[in-house]
Amino acid sequence: MAHVIQSDSLTKRYGKVLAVDDLSFKIESGTITGFLGPNGAGKTTTLRMLLGLARPTSGHATIFDVPYEQLETPALRVGAVLEATDFHPGRTGRDHLRTLSRAAGLPDSRVDDVLALVELQSAARRRVKGYSLGMRQRLGLAAALLGNPDLLVLDEPANGLDPEGVRWLRDFLRDFASGGRTVLVSSHVLAEVAQTVDQVLIINHGRLVTESSLEDLTMRVGGSVRVRSPQLSQLADALKREGIESSLSNDRALLAHGTTSERVGDISFAAGLAIHELVSEGSSLEEVFLDLTSGDAS
Amino acid sequence: MGLLIGLVALALLFIILTCTLSPANSILTEQDQVGLLSFGSIAGVFSALAGIMLVTSEYRFGTIRPTFLFNPSRSRLFTSKIIAGAIAGLVFGVIGEGLSFAVGMLTLKVRHIPIALSGGNVTVILVGAIVGTALWGIIGVGLGAILPNQVGAVISLLAWGFVVENLVFGLLPSVGRFLPVHAQNAMMGFTTAHYLSGAAGTLVLIVWTVALAGIGTTLLKGRDVN
Repeated sequence: MAHVIQSDSLTKRYGKVLAVDDLSFKIESGTITGFLGPNGAGKTTTLRMLLGLARPTSGHATIFDVPYEQLETPALRVGAVLEATDFHPGRTGRDHLRTLSRAAGLPDSRVDDVLALVELQSAARRRVKGYSLGMRQRLGLAAALLGNPDLLVLDEPANGLDPEGVRWLRDFLRDFASGGRTVLVSSHVLAEVAQTVDQVLIINHGRLVTESSLEDLTMRVGGSVRVRSPQLSQLADALKREGIESSLSNDRALLAHGTTSERVGDISFAAGLAIHELVSEGSSLEEVFLDLTSGDAS
Repeated sequence: MGLLIGLVALALLFIILTCTLSPANSILTEQDQVGLLSFGSIAGVFSALAGIMLVTSEYRFGTIRPTFLFNPSRSRLFTSKIIAGAIAGLVFGVIGEGLSFAVGMLTLKVRHIPIALSGGNVTVILVGAIVGTALWGIIGVGLGAILPNQVGAVISLLAWGFVVENLVFGLLPSVGRFLPVHAQNAMMGFTTAHYLSGAAGTLVLIVWTVALAGIGTTLLKGRDVN
């Protein structure tokens, strides 16, 4: 088995709108892949096509080398959560899971296993309509885990989670993938998954913008440097003479792009400019993401 | 469950009202008594509603996504929905028709009204009402697959059963007799003017059932789930 997921020229057209445009990628086993893009980029549509819920206009996708519909017992291979709201509100969380576990031919004991796994035992016998969004997310995850699958596909799982919930999810996914299993997780916020994923697929307007490891993406950020100085404009000029682009941040600091703090320090020293703060910016990963996805592809 | 309670309550209410309030001379003839004793076929409405719910509530609450993810073969899934609809319909039919038949017979006896029906009539009523109701369960599943919007499907069903069919039959009986509710009436032994024969009525209702289930399956298989 070469690839867990393979998408070949996947395309989906809704009327005049090209939601997914000739999208090809492969996902290898044992990786956590962040599937990123702004809202409306075509992430969910792509996931639906991967999972056989929507039919591609052209192209095709395979999971474990076959179309999803042809998996023998899909719940045992793939766990997927597309919406956090897919429950009958009058049913208890446990009953929801029991229905699905029967459909997959699994024993009821699995239901209790996954409830424990997502730490939802205490609410298991309450009706879903009383669940918080975080609890619903966990219940959805529990359903996906029923068949002890080798692949998890999650659409925006961190939506509506509080910071603690996000951290729980991050730890959970790390744990899940540490055993050689595979995760594909979509998000419109890079920061949400940056600490979790090994690699990223970034799409915009239905097209693949970037497919790279997180390291490469971080490298591409270069060292963006934040610097405060009473003589900002002179400093910007000095940097420019050395071929370094900079921009003013909203808290009256200068962001020097594609350089290192050492270099910015040396340049300002040479120019005789005072510096009050000099920091390598890690968070500008987000800026790369914005750069990649803000351009209008059409 | 709510549907079942509704059915029992409605069937009991109507049959008791009809039985006690009808003047004796209006329930004397064979056709009058067919009408009285087949009243339980109202269960068809409930059975169709149950069938509709089997499909549309999945769309309404989004459980259609996990359902399809766990059962990607949509034909197999739809087949099991049809079987479930038929079983629900059968249960509704037995309960609804059983109740109204029992109450109707009891009333006739208590009021000393001679029974104008033969054993053959009785069998036709019972089989027609119960099998017909089971078929309505399947029709409901088909309708739900055609119109996954729950409110839309329910309104369509009720408008069809209570308004459209009667209108068409009133204006164009030669067409109206081929519509499902009137076909089932024929199936239960009504011999009203313009009605099909019992056998033809049965066949027509089966054709409706197969057609709607078939169209439903085709649409369901081709439709993307959002």
